[in-house]
Amino acid sequence: MLELNEVFETNAMISGENLDVRTITMGISLLDCCDSNLNALCDKIYNKITTCAENLVTVGDEIGLEYGIPVVNKRVSVTPIAIIGSSACKTSDDFVMIAQTLEKAALKVGVNFIGGYSALVQKGMTKADEMLIRSIPRALACTDHICSSISLASTKTGIDMDAVKLMGTIIKETAVETKDNDSIGCAKLVVFCNPTDDNPFMAGAFHGITETDCVINVGVSGPGVVKTAISKVKGENFEVLCETIKKTAFKVTRVGQLVAKEASKRLDVPFGIIDLSLAPTPAVGDSIADIIQEMGMERVGAPGTTAALAILNDQVKKGGIMASSYVGGLSGAFIPVSEDSSMAEAAEIGALTLEKLEAMTCVCSVGLDMIAIPGDTPDSTISGIIADEMAIGMVNQKTTAVRLIPVIGKKAGDHAEFGGLLGSAVIMPVNKYGCLDFIDRGGRIPAPVHSFKN
Amino acid sequence: MNRTIITLVGKDHTGIIAAVCNYFAENNINILDISQTTVQEYINMMMIVDLSEFKKSFQELAEDLNKVGEKVGCSIKAQHEEIFDMMHRI
Repeated sequence: MLELNEVFETNAMISGENLDVRTITMGISLLDCCDSNLNALCDKIYNKITTCAENLVTVGDEIGLEYGIPVVNKRVSVTPIAIIGSSACKTSDDFVMIAQTLEKAALKVGVNFIGGYSALVQKGMTKADEMLIRSIPRALACTDHICSSISLASTKTGIDMDAVKLMGTIIKETAVETKDNDSIGCAKLVVFCNPTDDNPFMAGAFHGITETDCVINVGVSGPGVVKTAISKVKGENFEVLCETIKKTAFKVTRVGQLVAKEASKRLDVPFGIIDLSLAPTPAVGDSIADIIQEMGMERVGAPGTTAALAILNDQVKKGGIMASSYVGGLSGAFIPVSEDSSMAEAAEIGALTLEKLEAMTCVCSVGLDMIAIPGDTPDSTISGIIADEMAIGMVNQKTTAVRLIPVIGKKAGDHAEFGGLLGSAVIMPVNKYGCLDFIDRGGRIPAPVHSFKN
Repeated sequence: MNRTIITLVGKDHTGIIAAVCNYFAENNINILDISQTTVQEYINMMMIVDLSEFKKSFQELAEDLNKVGEKVGCSIKAQHEEIFDMMHRI
């Protein structure tokens, strides 16, 4: 029989520590929509999404009400559009038309994002891939609910440096297209090394081609819960610290598992995975930086931060894996700067630098995320930052990503305001020395050796 | 059996539990278990109830409990039992 204190512990997590289910993401395969006629393709895409996801939002809200846990976002991810549009699209404008179709479908079903305006080019770009990539600035400027992700590298294939070079330019163009809103288009655009096919979190969600027709993936959250738990073991040794994080991650993930199973049952769609990631929001007390600081760092970014993040990431996985048999997606700790108020504060006072963030990405589940940089940063420098991050992911056999926002018209020390869950942040300085000749070489960086590891 | 957990928090005074129980009696909700503590002047109460004879929807239950809560100056929530079982039992 349940105890009074257990019930109140759960409810304190929800009401006082921001425990929520961050997203129910329905993955929808669009492979059966392929058509060489663009209008027919768009009709099929619209019909498939609006049929599969018709009840997604209602069911998400119902579950939230009945279990008393907020289900914050309801989203859709689709098969990478570069594949789906490859026979119908003859120009970049054709791809923009698909983006507009996706936008219409998003509005119809009431989801807050559709992810999958994507191309997987880790070994090379097809004509369609390149057209989709070149369409991104316009596609993201003329839609509000579409997220784009490009896979540029993997441990098995190496890094496609032609695509890395192109993306440096595309990120800048996307920034220019949305310059009136602090270049917010770039918040919906991410590049990956080793992306996962079942990630429910935006902006990187897409429905991989090896996935089933329609699937429910759930992303949990709860940095505030972890922080509160750690605050109760102040001064204790690392064993106690790790045990505390693990137990808390278990509890958080169990809630996600329940919501995922229930959504899968009510929508009659198979359950895919739970993504364990601790995802912050700009709300006070919903911060990864606060966890790091609670562990003993004066500010996130201080020496010791990488070790603390490594502990957090690993213990979250250990606790979460026990709680659900199907764990997938990114599953770790996110370290976006603007979306985490304490992270943004640390950047503001100079405790957290771009270089330290890069080091932190070696041990966390994503990468350089939601970082505002000066609007006049050269394209090649953006490509250089991407190449560094792709190399970290490639060599360490992990997912890494880059979501940079060159804020047009602003310089280091100015502020960018993205609003809502995207938050706000100070613009971080970027190393002023260039890498143009390196980026201009073109071609591919070969895959690393998979033996002789030392 | 459709087991649901009712939680109530607020400033203690006479008649709070009576008001909640009256509502349950009027709506065919059977109470399976009640526990409560009072810390200083605040009451924390949990009930396990069975909704199998309850004729309205869960949404209406939540709205009704809000109204009862407003009358007695407490916050009253209903949640399916599973969320607590999942979190606290392996």
